[in-house]
Amino acid sequence: MSRLRRDPRAERAAQQIARSDGASPRPRYDRTQRATGGRPRRDPRAERAGQRVAGGVRPRYEIGQVSRGEGPVLAPRPQAAPEAVAPKILILEAPAFLIAVVPDAAGGRLSAHDRQVLGAARTLAGRDGGVVILAPDACEGIGSAGADRWVRFGDDAAAYDPAARAARLAATLGALAPRHVLFPESLDGGDLARRVAARMGAPLFGNAEVVAATGVIRPARGRRVEQRAMPGLLTTVAPDAVAEYGGPPREARLLDVEAASMAGRTGPILAATRIPADPATVPLTLADFVTAAGNGIRDLDTFRRLVPALRATPGASRVLCDAGLMPRQTQVGASGTVLAATCYFALGISGAPQHLQGVAGCEHVVAVNTDLHAAMIERAGLAIVQDAQTVMEALLRRLAVEADAGEQVA
Amino acid sequence: MTGPVLLTTLFPGLVWAMAALALVQVWRRAALWRAGAAAPVAWLDGLAKLPRRYLVDVHHVVARDAYASRMHAVVAGGLLAASVLTALAILPPLAGSRIYWVLVALAFAVTAVGSFLVGARRYPEKQKRLSAGRFQILPFLLVAYAAGGTLTALLLALGGGGGVLAPLALLLAAAGGLGLAFEVRHGPMRHAAAGALHLVAHPRPGRFEGRPDTALQPLDLDAPRLGSEMPADFTWNRLLSYDACVSCGRCEIACPAFAAGQPLNPKRLIQDLVAGLSPAEPAYAGNPYPGGREAEGERGPLARLIGPDARIHPDTLWSCTTCRACVEECPMMIEHVDAVVSLRRHQTLERGALPEKAVGPVTDLRQAGEPGGRSLAARTDFAAGLDLPVLDGRDGVDVLLWLGEGAYDLRYGRTLRALVRLLRQANVDFAVLGAEERDTGDLARRLGDEATFQSLARANIATLARHRFGRIVTADPHALHALRNEYPAFGGHYTVMHHTAFLLELIRAGKLVPNRLEDVSVTYHDPCYLARYNGETEAPRAVLDAIGVSRREMGRSGRRAMCCGGGGGAPVSDVPGERRIPDLRMAQAAETGAGIVAVACPSCTAMLEGVPDRKAEIRDIAELLLQSVEAGR
Amino acid sequence: MKIAVLVSTGRHPVSGATVLSRLEAQAIRLAAGLGEPLGLHAGPEQAVLREALGQGLVRGEHIVVPDGVDPVPALAARLAATKPDLILAGRRGQGGDETGLVPYALAETLDLPLIPDVVAMASDDEAGTLRLDQSLGRGALRRVLVRGPLVVTIHPDAPAPFAYAYGQARRGTIVPLDAAPGTVEGTGPTVEERPYRRRPKLVKGAPTGGSAAERLKAATGEAGTAASGRLLVDPDPDEAAREILAHLRQIGVLAPPTRPSIP
Repeated sequence: MSRLRRDPRAERAAQQIARSDGASPRPRYDRTQRATGGRPRRDPRAERAGQRVAGGVRPRYEIGQVSRGEGPVLAPRPQAAPEAVAPKILILEAPAFLIAVVPDAAGGRLSAHDRQVLGAARTLAGRDGGVVILAPDACEGIGSAGADRWVRFGDDAAAYDPAARAARLAATLGALAPRHVLFPESLDGGDLARRVAARMGAPLFGNAEVVAATGVIRPARGRRVEQRAMPGLLTTVAPDAVAEYGGPPREARLLDVEAASMAGRTGPILAATRIPADPATVPLTLADFVTAAGNGIRDLDTFRRLVPALRATPGASRVLCDAGLMPRQTQVGASGTVLAATCYFALGISGAPQHLQGVAGCEHVVAVNTDLHAAMIERAGLAIVQDAQTVMEALLRRLAVEADAGEQVA
Repeated sequence: MTGPVLLTTLFPGLVWAMAALALVQVWRRAALWRAGAAAPVAWLDGLAKLPRRYLVDVHHVVARDAYASRMHAVVAGGLLAASVLTALAILPPLAGSRIYWVLVALAFAVTAVGSFLVGARRYPEKQKRLSAGRFQILPFLLVAYAAGGTLTALLLALGGGGGVLAPLALLLAAAGGLGLAFEVRHGPMRHAAAGALHLVAHPRPGRFEGRPDTALQPLDLDAPRLGSEMPADFTWNRLLSYDACVSCGRCEIACPAFAAGQPLNPKRLIQDLVAGLSPAEPAYAGNPYPGGREAEGERGPLARLIGPDARIHPDTLWSCTTCRACVEECPMMIEHVDAVVSLRRHQTLERGALPEKAVGPVTDLRQAGEPGGRSLAARTDFAAGLDLPVLDGRDGVDVLLWLGEGAYDLRYGRTLRALVRLLRQANVDFAVLGAEERDTGDLARRLGDEATFQSLARANIATLARHRFGRIVTADPHALHALRNEYPAFGGHYTVMHHTAFLLELIRAGKLVPNRLEDVSVTYHDPCYLARYNGETEAPRAVLDAIGVSRREMGRSGRRAMCCGGGGGAPVSDVPGERRIPDLRMAQAAETGAGIVAVACPSCTAMLEGVPDRKAEIRDIAELLLQSVEAGR
Repeated sequence: MKIAVLVSTGRHPVSGATVLSRLEAQAIRLAAGLGEPLGLHAGPEQAVLREALGQGLVRGEHIVVPDGVDPVPALAARLAATKPDLILAGRRGQGGDETGLVPYALAETLDLPLIPDVVAMASDDEAGTLRLDQSLGRGALRRVLVRGPLVVTIHPDAPAPFAYAYGQARRGTIVPLDAAPGTVEGTGPTVEERPYRRRPKLVKGAPTGGSAAERLKAATGEAGTAASGRLLVDPDPDEAAREILAHLRQIGVLAPPTRPSIP
């Protein structure tokens, strides 16, 4: 955007007050109110807000007109606007065709990946098509995630029987006759999609990274090539590849679909139990939250008490492993384990290059170190320049207080 | 006169009996060596060269310990002279000569002095590196034989053979002498017999010709069994060489893995190979493997040697950095590294029992020609912004610059950049292979994966055959060793120079003019694969001297330098120890007080740079030279 | 127990050399814990079987199938004839189309149950049943007790494969088999191939449907962790502890303080 041109006449005019009786204007008494500094101060936030249609849903088509004036043309959008003004629900009465989405909906909640798949389905559906989600009962927010219709489809029981689920899904899809069916390319979603593909004898376009009505694209041959095709019946969508649906909420009207009920054939699966990951024993490569100790820690007992208190997986720098203070398999870094954790909590680790290589894949880093200039402090999202020892003790105290409070209330 | 006559017969007879007993004992021992595989041995040549090999090559090693050298010269020389002289007294004219007996007495007296020198190493307190056990009775046997012999010879010289003294003296000599001869099978005296035979039938005769015969011998990949699983898989002359071990412990002092507390003790390893061959071998009485693991498992020529439940734990094998320090120090010329690699070959090729962390790099070497699994084209990424000519499509160059593994390393890329800039300044006509350069396979070979090494070697040789170049220059001594010494066995003969030697040549030719960096103190760390494997210790020092830095030497330098811990796949095997080898080496460097540790190898750079809290800077010789050359501008 | 491991032609991700795919190598290792793994490969070359023999396979069967032909009918015919108790496959191929459909198509053709993404296997006390641990990601497992015969696909979190042993590869036997007649060209959807183009990954917390500027801001980290990157110099330790716990809870790796709701 071009720089604003100074307009001395306007500036002068701004310092005058027009009289109602037609007499010549008088100067303002309070000159601070308007353009005292000569050039008006730009307010990028207001400009950006002004470039959006009211409600901030989408950018204006013509953004030039908005911010030229001296003051905001539109009142700044109130921050909580979408919540305050209940958004209008989009209702699609007669969809021209249906795009079905089968989310994982683990625990009855849509995951971020599920929402992305809904976003992809919304793109495929366009204005005329409808997105139908096949989700269990308790699923919340399917409308705002972009679903026009909802078919109740979920686990009848907690029992794990993917074959039966695929059979039911195939029957439901047969009754729905959607144009496309999208799955998340997750462990369960990918499995279900392939079962349905094998059962229906339909081709599956797996792990699509681009989903559009004009074509879907997936990587192949070790990401050396990408394959492009017109969207077929079955597609799985890669995680974090397609944006979620960002429009106004949709109706998510319940559709009743008669699917042939499956006979209670006993499957080959005799029992299935979930074993949650134990942070204390899970391999470092798989750990979600790693708390690691480095050379700056003198008292490893405190560290060893802190790690289970945080329900983290213990890690360590090379120096500690070399010294035999921590087991070798806890070593983080290029020569140890390369992490893929969500959060890495570094205590007394300065961050040698090899060590930072090991945490390159971590989404969040929290670091405590005495050296302000340590590389780890620079890498961290929350960096605390303090003795790790005292911070560990403070953390333990605080966790203990919280635990006590919980018990007392109970 | 019956007394002296009887004595003049009995005394030489004793020596002949000793010789016979020793021969029997050697024969019994030799039956075990025959369990080994066949090996081509140039017997006549070896026999002819035995004196020279002993007096020059062995002495050169033994003389590093002045006390031991003198001790051995006195005791062994005396023993041999006295015994031979006495044995010759079987001839009547000699037996009758009193002067001759004076000579014999003198020889025995010298032996006696030597025996006390031997004893002084073990009593009242044994030197730490020596083994106890049967070696502890050696001084007594020697003293008995020498004293008895001296006394008997003196009696004969004085002509008084009667009395009670003569039988007593003879008895003493007999007890000592026959004891020594008996010890040839299991005891300390075995080293004399096996050692002499080992010098004749040495598996690496090139070592005695003054050239560094250090290339690993190629393995026949079609052999029924690959590598050594049991003692019988070693060739017979290698089994013989292990019997030559005199348990002096010089290897254990030199071994970096032993110093770092990793479960390797070269002496113990050789003794385990000896004991593994024969169940009758007496118990080992030296320092154990660090960690104190006791030997277990079956013994015998066909017993498995390696395994968590066998005589040698696999970790012992993978602790070795193949630095050859033990081989360099061994007075018996034993080839420890060959033994380690042979055992590793079996583990890797037949059992797929690589250390867990080494599996990835070796797999990538096999599948991608590069241990990090990186793209070969990315090897020249370090030279971004530098004009690095690629050989492909050029009509021959003087110098082919072999980049090696270090090119992928961020730190070592700086060294290579410095080297490339130096070559540019000196107007050297050079080029690199670019994406055609595969790894030399050094890592795979040291870890025992001979199949991968051979396929990489053949691929590289085929690549090099497509190009015309004068000689190869490389900054990686490991690549240098493979290209120079190990590729010829597969048909690749090249002139290979280390970058330090080449830079020295450029300086001497006046193509590079270094400025003096006076205020810098430098200590040079010799890479094993340059100094010990190739005997090149002077060129890097000459370059440093040309720069004019004040050069300080570490206690262990040159061919006797200590390893940085980066060779032989040790960094990828990563066997836990009590300390780290590079930390030990940096501590030695710190003792010199030098501010810079000069290196000439990517592995050394990486290992020494990784030492926490180090005071000295790590700089490659090329970097120092570039700094000095550019200082004038 | 008769175990068949499906061996596909894998490609090294960087060099493109023909290799045994890692997942299948892991499958061989898991199989070796239960019995003697036999390899089954349908394709034009047998090099990959040789590779698999070096990584723990005892014997390999090679069905000669020309390139580009659907291997499923040939594999299914052979498996129907040999009737193994367990059929193992990687969850995806490596270096090919990587659709992961072959095991499902086989299971469907052979009418066998399929358990996906297994990381550990053991025989159960009851004969003919297996205890399989399925990966649910991040170390969480689902332990499934199942009665064979069945098809199992392997997840990357399974134990690392055996190292390649040249001697074993040399000694192993490969039995060439002729493909059953009547195999037809696989007809997949028509796809167009071109060099892969890396696409920006979605950044968590980025506004959906926002302006390009907002997305850029999110992508460059201005609004992500780096922007909210906070530095506390020499805080009171208790203050620091409070900040850390609040931050960890915000990220979601630490559970909120114990709620009194559950006694």
